[in-house]
Amino acid sequence: MSEVLTTEDQLLAGFEGWLNQHFEASSSLKTIKKAGAENFKKLGLPARKSEAYKYTPITKVIEKNFDLKISESPSSLTKSDCESKFYADEDANHLVFINGIFVEDYSKIISASSELTIKVLDDQAINEHSELKSNLGQVNGSQVDPFAALNLAYFNQGVFIRAEKNTDNKNTYIYQFIDGTEQTVLFPRVFVYGATGSRTKIYEKTFISGKENSLNISIVESMVESNAEVRYTKLQNYTNSAYSIEGIYAHQDKDSRFYTNTFSFKGAVVRNNIYINIDAENCEGHMNGLYQLSGKTHVDTNTSVDHLKPHSYSNELYKGILDENSRAVFNGKIYVRPDAQKTNAFQSNNNILLSDTATINTKPQLEIWADDVQCSHGCTTGQMDEEAIFYLRSRGIEKTNAKALLLNAFANEALSEMQNELVKEEVEAIILNKLK
Amino acid sequence: MLKIDNLHASVEGKSILKGINLEVNAGEVHAIMGPNGSGKSTLASVLAGREEYEIEEGSITYQGKDLLELAPEERAHAGVFLAFQYPVEIPGVSTTNFLKTAVNQTREARGLKALDAVSFLKEMKEKMKLVDIDQALLSRALNEGFSGGEKKRNEIFQMAMLEPTLSILDETDSGLDIDALKVVADGVNKLKGPNNASIVVTHYQRLLDYIVPDFVHVLYKGKIVKSGDKSLALELEDKGYDWIKEEVAAL
Repeated sequence: MSEVLTTEDQLLAGFEGWLNQHFEASSSLKTIKKAGAENFKKLGLPARKSEAYKYTPITKVIEKNFDLKISESPSSLTKSDCESKFYADEDANHLVFINGIFVEDYSKIISASSELTIKVLDDQAINEHSELKSNLGQVNGSQVDPFAALNLAYFNQGVFIRAEKNTDNKNTYIYQFIDGTEQTVLFPRVFVYGATGSRTKIYEKTFISGKENSLNISIVESMVESNAEVRYTKLQNYTNSAYSIEGIYAHQDKDSRFYTNTFSFKGAVVRNNIYINIDAENCEGHMNGLYQLSGKTHVDTNTSVDHLKPHSYSNELYKGILDENSRAVFNGKIYVRPDAQKTNAFQSNNNILLSDTATINTKPQLEIWADDVQCSHGCTTGQMDEEAIFYLRSRGIEKTNAKALLLNAFANEALSEMQNELVKEEVEAIILNKLK
Repeated sequence: MLKIDNLHASVEGKSILKGINLEVNAGEVHAIMGPNGSGKSTLASVLAGREEYEIEEGSITYQGKDLLELAPEERAHAGVFLAFQYPVEIPGVSTTNFLKTAVNQTREARGLKALDAVSFLKEMKEKMKLVDIDQALLSRALNEGFSGGEKKRNEIFQMAMLEPTLSILDETDSGLDIDALKVVADGVNKLKGPNNASIVVTHYQRLLDYIVPDFVHVLYKGKIVKSGDKSLALELEDKGYDWIKEEVAAL
């Protein structure tokens, strides 16, 4: 008689062996990773009725599409294969991840370490950087999400990015290559530390070359010190066999600014957890995103901004265009704690459904304990404005062009915080191409 | 140029136009007047090709073509222009970008070369003077947050840019103060020529002091019940619409 293993057990089945194979007994990381696995066991995968994953039955999706064996996937990608995908930005850092592992040899790092440190997130990095050692896996509630815990257990060679005090840094691009002839489960991890007065700009993009299913469980943690600025942008134009559960966890200190942009176009199931913790005064937190979907793509955006201290500002704008059988989920939480007087927090989620079979589930949530605040939220869902289409057509603009013009304008609002012209142009081109 | 013959149209099963006959020739200005709910705006919408109206009977011939067969954009390419009673606000699209697309698609449909950025701007500057419209307004999103007067001015500006053969002004005077009215009317008059024609739909005679019509038609209960010259408009201003209603009732 064989015992029936839970999905959690199956995911952790090879963990001990894997851990012993990759880490020495004295490794600090080993202890952290063990704790991650324990934590995952304790949290378990989201249950069927989990509120946080209500419209994305993620556990079922994983059980149905993956054999749950976790092993490192070999890839035949060469350095020049990877380099050929780099953005044409010479004066920038280009970081390559293959199947979730940071490959320093394939990367091009030009920033001086006195400005921007970019290194493998391993034992050495942990021993050299106390800010990493004490915060890894701990930033802003990342310890309460089972996927963040699973990533902490299984990530191997993530990247640590540290902007030194008062440095205004070059662009850093992260390319995630998912490549393999078999099912791939990957655990990329990025830790960004912005020291006082620094500026860091990171753009992440993924290339998928395998045809088999892939499961990307990715975590970005960011500590933004006083008066620092961190910008993190993701371009998610995956394939129909790509499953992705991604977390961005940011913690902000006083006078700091944190920006995220997420542009989602394609994938099987994509879940974005974006959580910002504003734990000091005079901070700005920005979350912007666009999901423009077709086919059966399912994109779930789960955001939270937690105002713990007074005089801060947060703004969130997500736009959705849903065609064919696609589905989007948006859940945006704003917390304004009792101490967070004079908070300004705004949230907006607007959706256009282009077909009768597309679905959106949107839920803004505000929880406000302070009494002297300005907060607003709103979500809209509708079809295209026929009156506007007629107006444009009556001026000689052909029907499909009129629709594209209106949808493009609608989508472009979500690009307002994008400063990188190269990435912005690419996103604009994808938007336009999808409108054809 | 335009011949409307026994036109019947309905919306959501409700008959609005019940047998309109109207002929408009090049160089003419026709005013369509009438009490509220008589079908004036419906007539304007049907001419421009608004899709929610159903044509039950009759025909519209424009420059020898069956106008009802053409999509709204094809009508625009053929030179039909509707100045909206309520111009639509379109966030995120600047007037300049929108007009460049509109002008160039129209030019291409008419077998002309698309204007490059420089010639387009030059053309725009010239036409801006006609309606005294500000550059700053045109770089803003189309009609978004514009005042009533600014919206109407923008309609006439678009008309100037698209150089229509047949312009239909739907209650262009509504919501305008007297100064804005003069500017708008002045623009329309400057665009008038021997080869184009206008249909001015209005509730009040006021606009017709500035855009002087060659013919005035009174629309009531979906039909043109009386036609005359500009003196008919003055008579309506003086006596209201009741005497028309009585005349119709007496028939």
